Amino acid sequence: MSPSDRLAWRAFVKVADTLVADFDIIEFLNTVAEYGVELLGVSACGILLAEPAGSLDLVAASTEQARVLELSQLQNAEGPCLDAYRTLTPVICPDLAAETGRWPTFAPAALAAGFAAVHAMPMRLRQQAVGALNFFSAEAGPLNAETTELGQALADVATIGILHERAIRRHEVVTEQLQVALNSRIVIEQAKGVLAERLQVGIDTAFTALRGYARDRNLKLAEVARAVAVGDLDIPLPADWAGPPLPGPSPAG
Amino acid sequence: MPARAAGVWLSITALARREGAAVAVRHVVIACAEALGAGAALSVAADHRPYEPLFATDGRSDELAELQTTLGEGPAIDAGQGNGPVLAPDLALPEAQVRWPEFAPMALARGVAGVFAIPVGSGAARLGVLCLYQEQPRALGRDQLDTVLLYADAAMILALDDRGGMAPSTADLVGSAFSERRAEVHQATGMISVQLGISVTDALVTLRAHAYAQAQPISQVAADVVGRRLSFAGQFTTFPQTAARGQTGAETNGNGSASPPRGPAPPRQQDQGQDPEDKDEEMEGE
Repeated sequence: MSPSDRLAWRAFVKVADTLVADFDIIEFLNTVAEYGVELLGVSACGILLAEPAGSLDLVAASTEQARVLELSQLQNAEGPCLDAYRTLTPVICPDLAAETGRWPTFAPAALAAGFAAVHAMPMRLRQQAVGALNFFSAEAGPLNAETTELGQALADVATIGILHERAIRRHEVVTEQLQVALNSRIVIEQAKGVLAERLQVGIDTAFTALRGYARDRNLKLAEVARAVAVGDLDIPLPADWAGPPLPGPSPAG
Repeated sequence: MPARAAGVWLSITALARREGAAVAVRHVVIACAEALGAGAALSVAADHRPYEPLFATDGRSDELAELQTTLGEGPAIDAGQGNGPVLAPDLALPEAQVRWPEFAPMALARGVAGVFAIPVGSGAARLGVLCLYQEQPRALGRDQLDTVLLYADAAMILALDDRGGMAPSTADLVGSAFSERRAEVHQATGMISVQLGISVTDALVTLRAHAYAQAQPISQVAADVVGRRLSFAGQFTTFPQTAARGQTGAETNGNGSASPPRGPAPPRQQDQGQDPEDKDEEMEGE
């Protein structure tokens, strides 16, 4: 096994381990996104799911940086994720600077945010797409065939994760599960806002506190977020929080 | 605007126009029932009280909605407590009979074979449940379910505006429906709920009311809240630098050093990353 094979193997085992009964869909997708960063050697990874009207909403990411969130939102109009979602095939873009014609809004925005290359892998279920994985890289350069396959495999794992809870006997189960994930994400955003205001910190810091609280206590992120959003739970700043900007969540090792 | 969503709003506004009335929640329920060929009822929850039917397309749907509230059991109850739609295409199946031992037989006895319950709300802001009752046992296709979800979204928007005593124009209404999804809207909702000490549901009402009153897109008001240029703490306070309209979100924050003129609790720090100058700090160490 090459080092990258070993890394891939470890990632898939870890992701498979997450697929136990009653798992936390958002935390699972966050884990997938973190491994995406590690496996593909990129700067950030976002996971977007299709909502009923057909636009793509970000539900998980390797980092909650505003620039990643905003670049995801832009892709309801254009961008690699939308293309991957629509065509059901991976979109590899080694040099964003050459793609300003293809994506006149997205490409300049991504370049301005410090990314030079962007790739997207569709989340496929039979002949349908349910979303896409988005990989952002600070350095220009292609993905080789092997890495592309790895990225697609990760997208397939993410899809299975969303659907795993129940046998897929009925097609509407897909939409049900997507709704749960999309709605959980909304709750998390609301909880970020509640905490940011209560603790008087930024949105990023609020997320770090929220996630740290859930992880330390082995609680589901979505449930902790709901309790915070409805005012049933008050989360303090982490004890080791030393003042100005907390770093975003670092990729899991 | 995506085609399916446009179709949904068109069916709702057409119904209202035929009645010569302003668009209201009942039009959503009727249009949804027509689109699916089923009966429909919308139940709403008033702050921690059980769901009560607000509007139903027919007597049987009304009765079954009421019945679920009385029994404390049924797809609508589960959808109201859970995180997603609860679909029971065939109440005669053992899984449905086991899950709702009282409700399932009673619905079947009244000629309803399938029930689809969709939460009406946004994240932790929950307003109610839209429930469809059909006579034949048949599953919803993915397209049909997407359509029902869009009706539930429309019901949420109208219920929110109703709650806030707002009567927006159809154009405002439909426009607002499509600027709902941005992350800032949800974040701002959470922030406003703390600023005013109210539920996230009422915070969402407040956000929408302010957007209508200022004739601004909801996403713009939300971005101002998240960027701490607008706070609802104490009273409605618009910071001076946001007074000029027509600026884009990226530009309004150019003056990041301005101290927020807010009373009780000034921000300790601001790291929303809205400010282009913040970008360097956010770069990740690889």
